[in-house]
Amino acid sequence: MSNPEDNHGLSRRQFLGLTGGVAGMAALVSMGIPPGWADNTTAVDLQKRADKAYETDVLVIGGGMAGLFAAVKAHDAGAKVMMISKGRLGASGQTPFAKGMFAYDEKTAKMSLDEFTAAVSRSALGTNNPVYTRQMAEHSQARVNELKEWGFFDSVLYNKPFSKPITERNIPLIERVMITHLIKENGKIAGAAGFSLDAEQVITFHAKSVILCTGAGGFKPNGFPICDLTHDGTVMAYHIGAKVTGKEWNDGHPGQADNAAACFDGWHGMFERKPDVTGVEIRHDLGVDLNYIAYINGNPLEGGPPPELMRKNKVKGGPYKPEGFDHSSPPPGGEAGLAGGPPPRGEEPPRHGPPPGGEGGLPPGMSQTPVGGSSAGMAIHKSEGLVPINDQCESTIPGLYAAGDALGSYMAGAIYTQIGSSLTGSAVQGAIAAQAAARYCQNTPMPTLSAATLSTIKAEILAPLKRKAGYGPAWVTQTLQGVMIPNFVLYIKKESMLKAALAYIEELRDHHMPMLRAADMHELRLAHETANMIISAEMKLKASLMRTESRCSHYRLDYPELDNQNWQAWINIHKDAEGNMQLEKQPFGSWPTQA
Amino acid sequence: MSIHSINGCIGCEECIKSCPTDVIRLDPKTKKAVIKYVADCQICHLCRLYCPVDAIIIAPEKTIPVIVSWG
Amino acid sequence: MQIHPKKIVIINALLIFIALPALLFALGNAPARSLLKDSLSLLTVLAFSFMLQQLFLTRNFKGIQAYYKLSQLSNIHKYIGYFVVTVFLFHPVLLVMPRFFEAGVKPLDALITLLTTFQSLGVVLGLIAWGLMLLLGMTAIFRYKLVQKLGIKYKAWRLFHGALSVLFISIASWHAIELGRHVDTLMASFIMVFAVSGAVLLVKQYVLTTEKRTGVTS
Ligand SMILES: Cc1cc2nc3c(=O)[nH]c(=O)nc-3n(C[C@H](O)[C@H](O)[C@H](O)COP(=O)(O)OP(=O)(O)OC[C@H]3O[C@@H](n4cnc5c(N)ncnc54)[C@H](O)[C@@H]3O)c2cc1C
Repeated sequence: MSNPEDNHGLSRRQFLGLTGGVAGMAALVSMGIPPGWADNTTAVDLQKRADKAYETDVLVIGGGMAGLFAAVKAHDAGAKVMMISKGRLGASGQTPFAKGMFAYDEKTAKMSLDEFTAAVSRSALGTNNPVYTRQMAEHSQARVNELKEWGFFDSVLYNKPFSKPITERNIPLIERVMITHLIKENGKIAGAAGFSLDAEQVITFHAKSVILCTGAGGFKPNGFPICDLTHDGTVMAYHIGAKVTGKEWNDGHPGQADNAAACFDGWHGMFERKPDVTGVEIRHDLGVDLNYIAYINGNPLEGGPPPELMRKNKVKGGPYKPEGFDHSSPPPGGEAGLAGGPPPRGEEPPRHGPPPGGEGGLPPGMSQTPVGGSSAGMAIHKSEGLVPINDQCESTIPGLYAAGDALGSYMAGAIYTQIGSSLTGSAVQGAIAAQAAARYCQNTPMPTLSAATLSTIKAEILAPLKRKAGYGPAWVTQTLQGVMIPNFVLYIKKESMLKAALAYIEELRDHHMPMLRAADMHELRLAHETANMIISAEMKLKASLMRTESRCSHYRLDYPELDNQNWQAWINIHKDAEGNMQLEKQPFGSWPTQA
Repeated sequence: MSIHSINGCIGCEECIKSCPTDVIRLDPKTKKAVIKYVADCQICHLCRLYCPVDAIIIAPEKTIPVIVSWG
Repeated sequence: MQIHPKKIVIINALLIFIALPALLFALGNAPARSLLKDSLSLLTVLAFSFMLQQLFLTRNFKGIQAYYKLSQLSNIHKYIGYFVVTVFLFHPVLLVMPRFFEAGVKPLDALITLLTTFQSLGVVLGLIAWGLMLLLGMTAIFRYKLVQKLGIKYKAWRLFHGALSVLFISIASWHAIELGRHVDTLMASFIMVFAVSGAVLLVKQYVLTTEKRTGVTS
């Protein structure tokens, strides 16, 4: 019997040595990375396409925790619903890997809802939107109870418990379709379009309302299972004029040095656990503290559990932690609060012994030498995404809603606060958005879709397949990763480097994005994902440049202090009439108006 | 090398559906799952966990170079 | 020292139907799995090989009749039959059983998926083989009752049993070659060689006996 551990990979040093010459190219090809520029070997016959079109009241895009509740609750509110997802229901996005779910239990909680909200705001240094923080906690128990009924907490895998309410309600569900475009007509949402991964097929949806439950995204990083998420929802919405936010924040999850890309192994059995419910425990975790230590000292970790590690790696300066959440004093409700310490969101090992089939729920980097960038390109959950105009998950475009990781609700703030609240927030917001969207549909006639818009969109979707030659999306992605992932670019920031990286990204945007090629539907997906990553990178660099202070998970070497005078504000980004990216401040605690 | 092999596949397509990054496809001739786009494997093991006959073996190494922030 | 020919037969049988498949199992390309899973796989492979062996543990195989009494032979055939049928009766369950002890799809869900994947030739063949095996087993256990009830000759039953066996083993072999985790080219050849030769032996025997009989009566 052969050993599955055979290593056919190259070490990083070998790779760096190789990439230069022709030999390097050959080596890359043999590893499965197509060369940068090449002829398109497409075998797709675009003439034989059998495109499909659907019509519905509410279109839910995304099959994670937010999408589940969006579809179920929109149906229950009387709307005609369709659900569409790039991957499988409950087996795509981040939902399949999350195991701790927060519920605020009135009876056992030691604080009132208002106290809870205030505590989160204190940890989040004002970056949270208290309306969404409170809403999450308030509705948490109800969503958890529903999930219990569907068998969620009895199952390691979520497809079955998620399918239960969907099939019971006969909600049409289409999986393995990537949505690339939102359609806007006369200033309102009118549908969406994308393509099937399995057939040469463009699919268009004509809808009164769309709920984006497309999750967050990253730069297909190594160590976090988010390589299917590239901020698609945010970028699509941005292209039709929606405001998006939160692009300067960072998720600072470390990875592990050995096989950094193996997220299953790095999470030490957590993916094999059944989910459970967590109670109130507010922290200030997983910003860029470890990144800072690594920046100053080199790889911070010659071992040891987090508290020791922090003592051993005593460094001056670095990200500010609010009182009560710093290393010296124990934070309220837990002994954690350490950088790289027990993670937020209920990822800690269960209190009652080791999880079934795993050695313990330690996240990557906790038991081994850590490496950075495992979730590169992703911010704190719920801090980035579409800007809501109210507490109903409504975006700046009428009829367009977003929920969960796709909504920049600032529910947790710009740092991880309440453990397990990410899953809960997605569930709660999915339900809220659904009810709002269903109400919207009652008073809205079916918008008209113009043939001209549709044919432009179809052409844009298929363009990479039609190019005779072009840049391989995998190669462009690797180039982008090389620019964006290093610690000194988007984690420990300074103006000169942000500008330098931006120059690279603008080059990719202007000269590579329009020349991406795709040989089949899989590569077509990669091409669109690559384009979305380029736009996301541009947003992240520009927002990081704009925020001339340090706060929560955003750290500037050249502006290391909190600046409460100028920066009690979020940064919103939108595309102006000329197609340029515009950034503006929105004071904490305020809502923008609808376009 | 990421997803390493599929042995004893019954062609139920559970892995194909469950792979978030579309690494596995059905071979139209043999009607069995094949590893088609291994470079995109994110080593999350969902395919293995969903496989009813536990046919999938996964190794922790990535087939393409791994970029990290520091290391 | 002279080895008793009876022993030679036993040694040969052990070598061919235990050692050889076990060796092929070990040499095969299938990746190693847990002890439990590999033990179950080996058990299945050996049961399969014993099933093939049944084709030779019959009165038709003159090579063996020389050394064993028919009653002895029929006893061995019977007990091996029990073993084989038991293992394959639970074969679908054994496939998903390890999931009881580890995370992933629940065993019952896995079993349902397994048994309803009708688009798979291998699965359909497996289901047919499983059904045939049940029929084969039941009609073997209740052969005397059957013979009595239907008022047929025992020989007719034997013919039926032989024919059904050949059908069952062909389909089971096809199923194993189509789906077997440990069925690579070598293992497939092993199966083919013994399935085909066993079947040929059986068919030849029946054709010959029928011819003889016709010869006598005409
Ligand atoms: C390893 C890991 C551990 C975690 N642990 C915890 C935890 O213990 N507790 C906790 O609360 N949170 C945890 N989280 C965070 C939590 O998983 C997420 O915040 C939450 O699941 C987000 O749910 P969502 O529905 O908003 O988005 P997702 O679950 O990311 O779902 C997005 C959906 O959108 C689909 N989609 C994306 N783009 C497109 C497109 N273009 N077209 C069509 N469909 C598209 C995807 O296929 C997917 O179905 C963890 C995350 C990870 C990665």
